Amino acid sequence: MLNLGLLGFVGGLLAVGLRRPFLWVLAYIYIDVVSPQKIAWAILPSIPISLIVFLAAFGGWLVADDKTGTRFTLRQFLLTLLLLYCGYTTLTADFPDAAADKWSWVWKALVFAIFLPLTLRTRLRIEATALALVLSAASIVISAGVKTVGGGGGYGTLQSLVADNNGLYEGSTLSMAAIAIIPLVIWLARYGTVFPRHWTVSLFAGALVFACLLIPVGTQTRTGLLCAGLLAVLFLRTTRRRALWFFLMGAALVIAVPFLPQSYTERMSTIENHQADESASTRIAVWSWTLDYVADHPLGGGFNAYLGNQIRYERKDAPAGGDGYVVDKARAYHSAYFEMLGEQGWPGLLLWLLLHGLGIVQLELTRIRLRKSDDPLDQSDRMLATALQQGHLVYLFGALFVGIAYQPFVYMLIALQIALVEQVRRRRQPARRFQRTGPRVMRPLSPGNTA
Amino acid sequence: MVDYFSIALTHGLLALALWRLLSRDDLDRDPPVTPGDSESGA
Repeated sequence: MLNLGLLGFVGGLLAVGLRRPFLWVLAYIYIDVVSPQKIAWAILPSIPISLIVFLAAFGGWLVADDKTGTRFTLRQFLLTLLLLYCGYTTLTADFPDAAADKWSWVWKALVFAIFLPLTLRTRLRIEATALALVLSAASIVISAGVKTVGGGGGYGTLQSLVADNNGLYEGSTLSMAAIAIIPLVIWLARYGTVFPRHWTVSLFAGALVFACLLIPVGTQTRTGLLCAGLLAVLFLRTTRRRALWFFLMGAALVIAVPFLPQSYTERMSTIENHQADESASTRIAVWSWTLDYVADHPLGGGFNAYLGNQIRYERKDAPAGGDGYVVDKARAYHSAYFEMLGEQGWPGLLLWLLLHGLGIVQLELTRIRLRKSDDPLDQSDRMLATALQQGHLVYLFGALFVGIAYQPFVYMLIALQIALVEQVRRRRQPARRFQRTGPRVMRPLSPGNTA
Repeated sequence: MVDYFSIALTHGLLALALWRLLSRDDLDRDPPVTPGDSESGA
């Protein structure tokens, strides 16, 4: 039944694209985020569905789409450079097979992130993409959220739609992504036109935000909790009623803590006392190994270079009698920053930081640009820029503790940012050109100039 | 059961969104600026 349902849904996606080719782009986003071929195990896994839909999306854009005013932006150029550089380090990788394995999905995420802004030419397309991203992620988040309420949570044990530890199905990644999309959910409920403002929309959005907040509890990941904390602080910046927000945050915390499972509060308490926690100690040991490694290999060791590490770290709560040290091999980076540094070296890390840093700056400039406008379109765009910026900052913060440098979901958010910045630039350009050239043209005709 | 609920709800909403997008002209082309704006901008 589920197999048939999902197969029918994917077939429907392909069919609607025949009338509106852009919908294939949304279909690819859905398939990339949800991976329906992993949920339905009968027919879909045997079809290279992701490839088919990507080719349809690209072909549809190439053949049928209007490309007037489309620009290849600086950040798309940076993405292209990063793609080429990753390709180069894969060829010279320390572990060629493992590197080729990671490259096989990273290049797709980067290519799609380069391509996506080219298709997002209209406001509605930007909204539709945000909606597709949110609803796709929601299918995982709602399932995990409801299970958390039902007591099915636990670190590494909360299972969403599939028993898989890749993509958004990995606990820490899902925690980060769930928190990062909250601002986008709120924006869609307030400014959406596909599902305009209505009490049913608000109800769904409210329930979805609640489910998103439950993910760090359900997966018991400290990263998620820290991300939620950061988002609360970021909301303080944009909310008009700061005192009320402070009060609500405090009240929510007081009410929520007694209801959290004991295993959760115990795990979260290790955030302060990280030296007693193995997961935190290995992170620090791996990070110092990475710094030593790039001192010898400044251009990086290619994907999965961490396989070569051997670390020795101290445990404060080691049993009496032992020397308190643990030796471990091939520990993952547990941080996107160190992942980039170890795998792509200083050039790769620099490119990556530039890509993300520019995004935050461009969105801030967009916010400033639209600050004084009363135009409802400008206000909507400004709030979208704010939402995307908040989501991006949550990602950059969560990425400190999780190796998610190439998470495809994030690259789609980046593509959305590029498209929004371009959309605002295009829309406001004619008015600016008029202001600059208008008076010069008018001057000879004005009475003052004839005298 | 929970999975079925989650899949049905979100996929239903996705299908409805796509259905609504099918009939939206502004999907492929932004609507022209309002008459007042276009006069001042021309």
